Parts: sequence; C-alpha cells; structure tokens
Amino acid sequence: MTAEFGYSADREEASAAQVRALEALLIEKGIITSGTVDKVLGYFESEMTPLNGRKIVVKAWTDPEFAELVVRDTPAAVAQLDLPIGMAGAEGEHLAAVANGPGVHNVVICTLCSCFPWPVLGLPPYWYKDPVFRSRAAREPRVVLAELGVPIPDDTEVRVWDSSGHSRWFVIPERPAGTDGMSDDELAALVTTESMMGVALAGASR
Amino acid sequence: MKLQHHLGGLEGLDAPLDFEKRVFVQEWEKRIFGIHAAMMGLSASLRDAVPGYDMDAVPTAFATTWTWADLRKGAEAMNPFAYFQYRYYEKWLGGITGYFVEQGYITQEELDAAIARYRAAELPERAEPLIDEQVLRYLRVGDTPRRGPATPSFAVGDPVLVADPPASDHTRLPGYLRGHTGRVERVFEGNYAYFCSTGPDGLGDPVPVYIVRFEPGELWGGTTEANAGPLFAELYETYLGAP
Repeated sequence: MTAEFGYSADREEASAAQVRALEALLIEKGIITSGTVDKVLGYFESEMTPLNGRKIVVKAWTDPEFAELVVRDTPAAVAQLDLPIGMAGAEGEHLAAVANGPGVHNVVICTLCSCFPWPVLGLPPYWYKDPVFRSRAAREPRVVLAELGVPIPDDTEVRVWDSSGHSRWFVIPERPAGTDGMSDDELAALVTTESMMGVALAGASR
Repeated sequence: MKLQHHLGGLEGLDAPLDFEKRVFVQEWEKRIFGIHAAMMGLSASLRDAVPGYDMDAVPTAFATTWTWADLRKGAEAMNPFAYFQYRYYEKWLGGITGYFVEQGYITQEELDAAIARYRAAELPERAEPLIDEQVLRYLRVGDTPRRGPATPSFAVGDPVLVADPPASDHTRLPGYLRGHTGRVERVFEGNYAYFCSTGPDGLGDPVPVYIVRFEPGELWGGTTEANAGPLFAELYETYLGAP
C-alpha cells in the first residue's frame, strides 16, 4: 500500500528516536528496568519460536493418536510434548489447531487485529498483519492462495478461520508425499510458519 | 462505523499482497513490542487475573491497566487512511506513546527533550529484578479469560443470526458478519470474559463462545469466489440471536 501514501524522509529515524526516548523515560520513571525489553525479546528469540510449532506438526505427522488429539483438545496435546514452559502463557492460553488433509485446506486469519498463537509460532510475520491480506483472505482465500503460490484444487474445500474470540488458531499442514523415511528433524525442516497458518504447503520452498 | 471494524472482505484492494515474512522490518520495532509486552505483564488488571499475580510485590510505577483491548482501541480509533498508511508497529508506537502521555506518566515536553537527549546518550541504568520477573511470569503463565462453566443458549447445529450492535470504540465482532446467519459448529467449554466492557457493543461479562460456520454465498453474495468454502468465526454469545 505504500505507493499510495507520502512519507517524511526521516520516517524510520524519527520512530527509532521516539521509541528510544520512550524506553528511556519509562526506565527513568520506574515503570520498567534497563533490562526489561531485552528480556522480553530474548524470551521470544530463544523459547517462543516456530520451532515449537514444527515439533507439534511432526508429532502429528508421526503419531496418529496425537494427530487426533491435537485437533480435539489442542492444549492437552501440546502439554504432552517436551516444549518450553509457557505454551499456555500469553497468547497461548487457548490454543486451537485445525488439520489439513485430503480435500481440506485451512487458512487462519484475524480480520480485526493480529491474533496469533505466540507460544507455537512466535510473533506474527508482517504479511499476517497486513490489512490487505486480512481483507482479501476473508472473501477470496483461493485467489490469495494462488497469488502466494498455493493453487488449491477445485474439489478441495478451503476453510477460513477468523480469530475473533479467545482461541489462537494454527494449522497442521498436510505431510508432503515422499517423506516416509525421514527423521523428525528432517520433517521439521519442511514446516514453515506460513504452512502453519495455511498460506503455504509444508515442504514447499517458497 | 469504523473501517477497521469492517476490514474483512473489503473490496478494491487488488494490489499484489506484500508477502513479507519478517516479524520486524526495522530494529526499532523490537523495542516497542518489548514495551507493550512489559505493560501487559505489569497491568493493574492482572490483580484480578485467574493465575493470581501478586502485583503488590512488584515495585513498578506502572499503576494502570494496559491490555490488548487498549491497544486495539487505539488502532480502531485511527483515521482509516492513517490505519492503512502506517506500518503495524508504527501504529503501536503512536498508540502506546499517546497512552503514557494521556495517563500522565510522561508529558509531551519530556518526550521531546528525551528524543533530543537520547539520540546520543546511553539508556539509563536501572535494575529491579522483581519487575522483569513479573513480566516474564506473565508471558509464561498468561491471562486466561475463561470464567466459570459454560451457560450456552445455543447448541451445535442451531442456526444463529449475528447481531448488529451500535458502533462502539471497540468490538470483537467482524463487520462482514453483521446481520448474517450461520450455524453453530462448536460450543466452547466454559464462559469467557473480555478485558473490559465494550459498552453498547456488549462485551465484558463472561459469556459462552461459539464457533459459527458461515456459507460463503451468505456472506459475499455476488462477489463470492469460485468453489468457495465455509468461513468459521469465533463469536461471543452477546453477538448472537435466534434467526
């Protein structure tokens, strides 16, 4: 959308200076400490990352009982795995998964804001927060998916999930063909954040 | 009526999508995210949270409430052109800065002086482990809105008509669903509160929440895409009635 708008030449520099001043004032005023922001960022860089989602997906691909449980009672399934403490923490209080499979392709969106399952996938990428994506994916998900390199066969049902309530949704993508002999680590490498929100297929390089 | 409440399905945005996979596209964006997360972890509203946070033991000067509802209200209050103009974290920076000024934590003059001062200066040094521990505790434990057993008025399979409550400064009802009929797909266990009262919009007190299935033709009429599938929304009972 940036082509439609004019911006001041110092757009980023001004924002950087403003946020630095704000952080400094909040430290001076005793609201946060000089380490608070770095500690928050460290938590999301080291523990709450898409690696957690990849492990959940690989388990679902390799354990039919888990695959059934993860869509029926997502928090219980996630709690079975050896993941960082905090999977039911901020923006993971009520995780909910839907599974892709033959004839079904799910896409998760948030048309009102940017609700995202932080503990499973980390923080949302920009495409998910883009008002253009949010508006178009609700009404024409097939067109959007094709544009993103994911053509969906006519006889596959596309289901859109708008995260307007308390749940934080993610997708168990379909396991790619030809991956039978792969190790868990090899399988995990096929899973991206985009595939776990339904705008990519697992194993696709894009 | 606010454009931000009616983004879903908005027509005319046919430009190619910006498939930007990064979470942050500028280093400064990380700082405003961290400040927001800290505010949520230090929010006075956590005194009433289910996990039972001991906020009296946290020596922060932050004494007011900051939740997703506050951040969302700010975004929903924006000029709709500005909402499209500014990047995600630019909106956060504007909303959060405005909050600290409005709540009297800082003045605009202090901010202007600090912007000049900290272009070169190091950030102030101040350690207070109990503040950082509370923020991390919040991130790990969260703030569930679930309150008490479910008291649903509708059952799986029931048809429901989405209400059209008066426009308000904040809603969790996507505009494109207003006035449309769907069918209950799932009834959640438990009732769910919202961070604050949304006034005439109707959220706040614990209510049942449903997944409602909508057929695409019901929502989009003549602009429905070929081979369209269903759309599922998670809706508070407040927003639903019998057709």
